[in-house]
Amino acid sequence: MSGSSPSGVRRDIALAAWQAIYEQRAFWRNRARAFFAFLMPIMFLVIFASIFGNQTISTRSGLPYNDFFVPGILAYGVIATTFFNIAVSTAILRDKGVLKRMQGTPLPHWAYLAGRVASAAVTTLAMTVLVLVIARIGYNVHLRGATLAGFFVALVLGSACFTALGIGIVGFIRNADAAPAVLNFAILPLTFISGVWFTTDNQPSWLRHIAEVFPVHALADGLQYAFNPSTTGSGIRGSDALTLAIWLAVGVALMVRFMRQPLGED
Amino acid sequence: MSAIEVSGLRKRYGDLEAVRGVSFEVAPGEVFCLLGPNGAGKTTTTEILEGYRTRSDGEVRVLGLDPAGGARELRERVGIVLQSCGVQDDLTVGELIEMYGRYHRRRRSGGELIELVGLDAKSDTRAGRLSGGQRRRLDLALALVGDPDLVFLDEPTTGFDPQARRHAWATIRALCGLGKTIFLTTHFMDEAQTLADRVAVMRAGEIIALGPPAELGGRDARPAEIRFELPAATSLDELPDVPALERTIDRGRVLIRTAEAVAATARITAWALEHDVDLAQFSVTQPTLEDVYLELTGGDASAAGDASAAADTDGAGEVEADR
Repeated sequence: MSGSSPSGVRRDIALAAWQAIYEQRAFWRNRARAFFAFLMPIMFLVIFASIFGNQTISTRSGLPYNDFFVPGILAYGVIATTFFNIAVSTAILRDKGVLKRMQGTPLPHWAYLAGRVASAAVTTLAMTVLVLVIARIGYNVHLRGATLAGFFVALVLGSACFTALGIGIVGFIRNADAAPAVLNFAILPLTFISGVWFTTDNQPSWLRHIAEVFPVHALADGLQYAFNPSTTGSGIRGSDALTLAIWLAVGVALMVRFMRQPLGED
Repeated sequence: MSAIEVSGLRKRYGDLEAVRGVSFEVAPGEVFCLLGPNGAGKTTTTEILEGYRTRSDGEVRVLGLDPAGGARELRERVGIVLQSCGVQDDLTVGELIEMYGRYHRRRRSGGELIELVGLDAKSDTRAGRLSGGQRRRLDLALALVGDPDLVFLDEPTTGFDPQARRHAWATIRALCGLGKTIFLTTHFMDEAQTLADRVAVMRAGEIIALGPPAELGGRDARPAEIRFELPAATSLDELPDVPALERTIDRGRVLIRTAEAVAATARITAWALEHDVDLAQFSVTQPTLEDVYLELTGGDASAAGDASAAADTDGAGEVEADR
């Protein structure tokens, strides 16, 4: 087959790159979607960091609130630009029959998927850079060179995990209208018990244990650990990385399951 | 080699057999039309040929390949217009044609395509802002973007106004002129009549008639019908003797069914001129494709559709689901 020759693979990679460009173009043109996926985390950052910026967290030996909150909102931003963004748009594309149409074209499925994932990664990266710049300039929150490795591990693993979960969950969403409700139900309560907005130090331990099972906590905690000025070492918390890796595997399995669902049959 | 070869095709959904042993061939360059009420198995058959559904039994070859294998080569050479399939609404017509064009190794020029479907003025318009008819034309352009040898058109003019339909027909005929094979499904008799070289009528999962539209169901050999109004002063007995299978009069409306339409017409009109009798609304007709179709599919097309609507795998059910 032409697709398996080296030049065929190169061409398909180029097609995936082109697809990412078209997906990006479509993403930024849809203002409502760009707002929810991209601007909302930025908006929350500005609001929360401005309100609580002068406070410190006594349960964490006087950690400035913003050193805690910036990585937390970054975690939320990653979830918005990957999980929410991909799940909602994929459900819409499925319901409108775009996925079925794509299936009938010579574009390999993996190249289409790669293009969409790459596009979401670009959006996530842009959101991350913007959050870091605003945090640094506006709220004097610094990312340290020593824990940079830990920061990237949490960011990349978390993005991959929520991208896979975002595609995989579409298999459980009956129609696109229900998507925002299902996704919020899955994520919003977790953000509250996972220390995205405020610390969980005063929460009952059973609630914390529940939160620790899920990737929202692992991503938020992983980023917060890397940002915390008192963290020593490379900034990776093993338990967080492990949790994200396990959920990444779950996400990939669900993603494969969703992609095998036939689009033609009723 | 045939463009499409189907033999003994079957598709079961649980207990229901939606396609029950269908066989036909489509020659290269032919316009082949699948006609039938909702639930007859048209869409199931078509989607098996397109590679969207798997078959339960039988042999299928499309351009010599098995569509169930999902071969990329096949997708390079086949264009598909699905019944209700969306596009990326935030991209413009021009961008979409460019994007889908990239997927193909062989591609048609975008400008030419936009012109062919008459969307020149809409090139910079986002797909989400097109009217229904314009969307269908974009569908057609996207199906043709890889310069396919075979084009599937699933009810391509449903929802069109008469003018848009004529335009679409002209476009489809232009495709035939380029030597493309076209596999068409439709509800519309006039569409089948105008476009198709051959028509297959499906009912309850089977092909019950297959042939050129003019000959379908022995249509060409059927008696013609001569109709006219007889003035009140004239009685049926005064008419000349013509070879007729049936002669009836109902409130002054005469109906003569005859196998010798030319001779019968000549005698009746000669008699009318000679005796200065005015035969109002004089007409000679062959049974229409629609007459034959309704007869074949069980008289009442809508009832036939309803009967299988519960287990529907065809048109109407999907349209409903989309709303």
